[in-house]
Amino acid sequence: MSPKKQPRLSLWTTLVELPRNVWSSIFRNPIPSNDLERSATSFTNFFLHIHPVKVHKNSLRPLFTLGLGLMSFFLFVILVVTGILLMFYYVPSTTQAYDRMLDLRGTVAFGMFLRNMHRWGAHGMVAVVFMHMCRVFFTGSYKKPREFNWVLGVILFLLTLFMSFTGYLLPWDQLAFWAITVGTAIAGYAPLIGKDIQFLLMGGTSVGQEALLRFYVLHVAVLPTVLTLFIAFHFWRIRKDGGLSRPAEADAIPALEFPEGSSVLEPHRTYGVQGLVRGPLHAAGKVPDNTVFSWPNLFRAELFVFVVTLSAILLLALLFDAPLEEPVNVMLPPNPAKAPWYFLGLQEMVSYSAFWGGIGVPGLFVFLLFLTPYIDRGSAGVGRWFARERLLANTIFLTFVIVNIVFVIIGTFFRGPNWAFVTPW
Amino acid sequence: MAVNLKKISGGTLSPDGSYRRRMLGWLTGVGLVGSGVFSAISNFVFIKPRTASGQPQRFSIGKPEDFPPGARMALGAQRIVVIREGNRLAAVSTTCTQLGCIVGLSDTGFACPCHGSRFDQDGNVTGGPAPRPLPWYKVSLTPNGEIEVDKDTVIQPGSYLSL
Amino acid sequence: MRLALAIGTFLILLIHGVVFYNQFFQKWERNQIAYFGQARSLAKTDAERAALAERKPAIEQIVVSNFGETRVDRCTTCHIASDDPRFAAKAHPLKTHPYSLELGDTQKNGKWERRHKFAEFGCTVCHDGQGRGLEPKYSHGEDEYWPEPLLGYATQEHWRKDFAPKLKGKAFLEANCVQCHTERGFKSTPTVERGRQLFYASNCYGCHRIQGISEGTIGPDLTEVGRTWKVDYLWARIADPKSVLATSIMPKFRLKDDEVKSLVVFLKSRKGRNFAETEIDRFKVKLTGGEPSKAGPQPVEIKPGEMVQQGEKLVADRACAACHKVGEKDGGVAPDLSFEGLLKGEDWLLEHFKNPRSTMPDSIMPAFRFTEAEFKAMTAYLSGLRTVPVLSTPDATYKAFCLRCHGEKGDGQGPIGQHLDPFPRDLTKSGFMNSKPTERLVASIRSGVPGTSMPAWGKVLDETRAKSLLDYIQETFTKEPRRELKARDLPDRNPVPMSPESMTRGQTTFVNRCAGCHGPKGDGKGVNALDILPRPRNLRNGAFVESVNDRRLFDSILYGVQGTAMPPWIDYGLSTNEVGDLVNFIRGINPKPKGGQHAAAN
Repeated sequence: MSPKKQPRLSLWTTLVELPRNVWSSIFRNPIPSNDLERSATSFTNFFLHIHPVKVHKNSLRPLFTLGLGLMSFFLFVILVVTGILLMFYYVPSTTQAYDRMLDLRGTVAFGMFLRNMHRWGAHGMVAVVFMHMCRVFFTGSYKKPREFNWVLGVILFLLTLFMSFTGYLLPWDQLAFWAITVGTAIAGYAPLIGKDIQFLLMGGTSVGQEALLRFYVLHVAVLPTVLTLFIAFHFWRIRKDGGLSRPAEADAIPALEFPEGSSVLEPHRTYGVQGLVRGPLHAAGKVPDNTVFSWPNLFRAELFVFVVTLSAILLLALLFDAPLEEPVNVMLPPNPAKAPWYFLGLQEMVSYSAFWGGIGVPGLFVFLLFLTPYIDRGSAGVGRWFARERLLANTIFLTFVIVNIVFVIIGTFFRGPNWAFVTPW
Repeated sequence: MAVNLKKISGGTLSPDGSYRRRMLGWLTGVGLVGSGVFSAISNFVFIKPRTASGQPQRFSIGKPEDFPPGARMALGAQRIVVIREGNRLAAVSTTCTQLGCIVGLSDTGFACPCHGSRFDQDGNVTGGPAPRPLPWYKVSLTPNGEIEVDKDTVIQPGSYLSL
Repeated sequence: MRLALAIGTFLILLIHGVVFYNQFFQKWERNQIAYFGQARSLAKTDAERAALAERKPAIEQIVVSNFGETRVDRCTTCHIASDDPRFAAKAHPLKTHPYSLELGDTQKNGKWERRHKFAEFGCTVCHDGQGRGLEPKYSHGEDEYWPEPLLGYATQEHWRKDFAPKLKGKAFLEANCVQCHTERGFKSTPTVERGRQLFYASNCYGCHRIQGISEGTIGPDLTEVGRTWKVDYLWARIADPKSVLATSIMPKFRLKDDEVKSLVVFLKSRKGRNFAETEIDRFKVKLTGGEPSKAGPQPVEIKPGEMVQQGEKLVADRACAACHKVGEKDGGVAPDLSFEGLLKGEDWLLEHFKNPRSTMPDSIMPAFRFTEAEFKAMTAYLSGLRTVPVLSTPDATYKAFCLRCHGEKGDGQGPIGQHLDPFPRDLTKSGFMNSKPTERLVASIRSGVPGTSMPAWGKVLDETRAKSLLDYIQETFTKEPRRELKARDLPDRNPVPMSPESMTRGQTTFVNRCAGCHGPKGDGKGVNALDILPRPRNLRNGAFVESVNDRRLFDSILYGVQGTAMPPWIDYGLSTNEVGDLVNFIRGINPKPKGGQHAAAN
């Protein structure tokens, strides 16, 4: 281009166009008005480019996913943000931690509210991640080719538990201290390495300053990093495994929806790259196109899940204050000393048999969870809730879930002083 | 949180929809951006401490009798020197205006040990790199008869509290 | 969907707004604004008014570092007028902290000057409460989790409704005064001083240890009790011990409310360490074990000529009547000593004084620290108590002698029954009463049951009166008429000679057959013991085992004890020889007791 043809850059035009130029340099794509722009939205935006351009209609069915996976992710985001903010005031010291909690409640603006959000978010995340796991199981979504992503999911579940567990100690009140004392003691029942793990976790033989520091480092640095990595891995695998699972029928030609003469199907399926992505879609052009553009369908759904999650946490934080019990008194254990609620099932089982309840059964359970996709090989019933073909697997898993929940409920509400059976009313 | 929201709500969600759709889109956007702004502000309010972690900025230093006329008493922890001349009393900072070292009392006024700044009796710079005179703090009598120094309020040098 | 989204986002916006509102319009800010306004109208100079007009609400705080761990007291954020004498007549929170001579405040030229300056002492050093909070609920410690609610002002919701109103008042604050003012008899802390006296007068010191004050070992150590427990717990533990801990053996003493209050204040002041002592002081205490109870009762020099009088004075001064009944005074916990001279011998009394459990293995009486001479003087006094009320009818006799333990209904639930171990015999159980020959029951009355609280009434009741008393009991409580007892085939003497082998065999049988109730050690504390009434006999009771002959042991083992859980072991296949081994084992684990047993020895 010759210099003459170039329009004169006056200071005026530069200034006038500055906002637009800044905007368009950040957001390369305008608000989409045609299919090309719609597809561009996904890959020109850093935060959106993890999404596919088009998404299968089945994945958008709210009752299929219940939005649980996304909900756990948003909870994680909320936890990261509130957690980082709380770090501004927290000191992992046995002499100061509790005072800082009092300050958060008393003088720091929004301190209590942020702590509430963090607390309820953490409890919520444990629950939602568990429900997400149940959803994946009951819809048979861990089957080929998604076996490994299931394994990643189980790892994420364990990490979430550990994350919540390490955070439990930080307020350094009686609730925290004795829950962690009990929790680490359960870890101590593991054969061979149990005592070493307990020692490593606590940095000593009892819960004290060392333990507090270790739990803090694990909670704010180590585990979030690992968790983030695994979440990224998990998301990446979702796309590489061909999106969310769906029943085989979802890709069959539904006779009614496509009356004769309609030609919606064929022309769109021309992307050559599609062949690289594994999954049942490789037969391009031969199957009906049951996909829709991610913009706006997927993004709106995601925004909806986000709004629901955030408002739920905000409401909880507004209505209920996170507990803060007496300052730690190492001489005076509460009766009963209870672990965090999600470990109360464990504690309940430990009260029957220390090894089998604390390590044996849960260890076996986790081991079986890891192996599930490699044991249950059939491909029938994928992508449907409680498929008849998977009656056996679902029954076994459901039994396990219910037993677990019952144990947690017993441990939470029906156990009084000396771990004796009491009725909560 | 806020950042994430704005990206998603960069505009209405339905460019080609009806009027109602468009309105709802706008409302959603306003809600999200509004909440984003709110939470951004509150986060800044949150990280700005409302209380000092150590000694407060406004504090009592005792009764006037504790400072006999002619006294120039340096209070190390509070970083002030209390000057009493006859029935007048004032508090002058001992934090060097250059880089924040603590100035010491000298015959002619104050001297900074770090970079050699010197100040006269009233805190005016007489030598060295210090850019400004030492600030004077507001001194007042509390209802129970004690002297209160407010380090948050700097007053005109040379203005004393009359007892 | 779009509508839901819009509603959702507005919900979020709304919550943000609510949170914002809550955060920026707080009560303490309104308090401060009110204060500035009132102070402006009271101001004398324009400059003062201008300064007040400029002031904006801000969190006030006092950092207190002179008293133990650093405290941050933000109480003056709301109680902003606490040091402004002009607000003396106003209402809380904008009220001047009162001045008083009691607090050491002084008056100069009509102006008060504080002894305890807030800038140095803060607030929570004296008042407790939570200095960091700004919401009254939390800062006053009304939240059930806060261990130190405002002493004498704040009560927590879960406190017992009947006790909570009694836990208010300035007197409770004295518990904190003595953290620094440790000198005895400090004039501004009369309640603590009274509590300290009651601690001795109610015999708390006999069971409880407080470092430097008492050495008791039966109850919990109270050295740090004030730091660990709140006043409501202390009150409940003293006023109604079993309501807090069902298994507590602490008696319910007859204390009036103001006495309980003094004790609570005194105990609340026991925090293990106080601000007045230095680390070196503490180390010295650790090295030397502390001075032995200088504060406690001091030994009295006993003059041989005045032993009885001095003994009487000791019994009165050292508050034996906090538990026992001596003359008019009655503690309502332990047996009547009014005619002790007729019931026990001097040797027994002396032995019992030195170590109550040597004569009665399950006695809850603590071993008090007296000198030998003091014990002798008290023994001399008690054994001189020999006047008995003249009683004509068995009914009056029962009421005078038996009711205290066996109860009005004869069921063993007498006023002091629950504090005795073994529990007084339930006289309404005909199974027991009618399975024992009359001679044995009369013997129990006249010679007592050694090793238990049943004294020998022989010197008070002759054979005839004892019999008529028994008849009265049979008629009134047992009710069922006696039946003819079958003669049982029992050896008079143990046919198995005492030997280590026999004892070992006996032990094996004991562990297999008897340990479930009597405990593997034979101390009556087997796993089933708690479910059985009357409790299984403690067989490690030298006095008792010595007093029963072989025939009776064989009878009880082979044919069981009717009216109790002891079964007839003859039905479960125990042979006479095995029982002989058992008897040898039981006798073997009980060394012969020293000293005499009864005043009424025939």
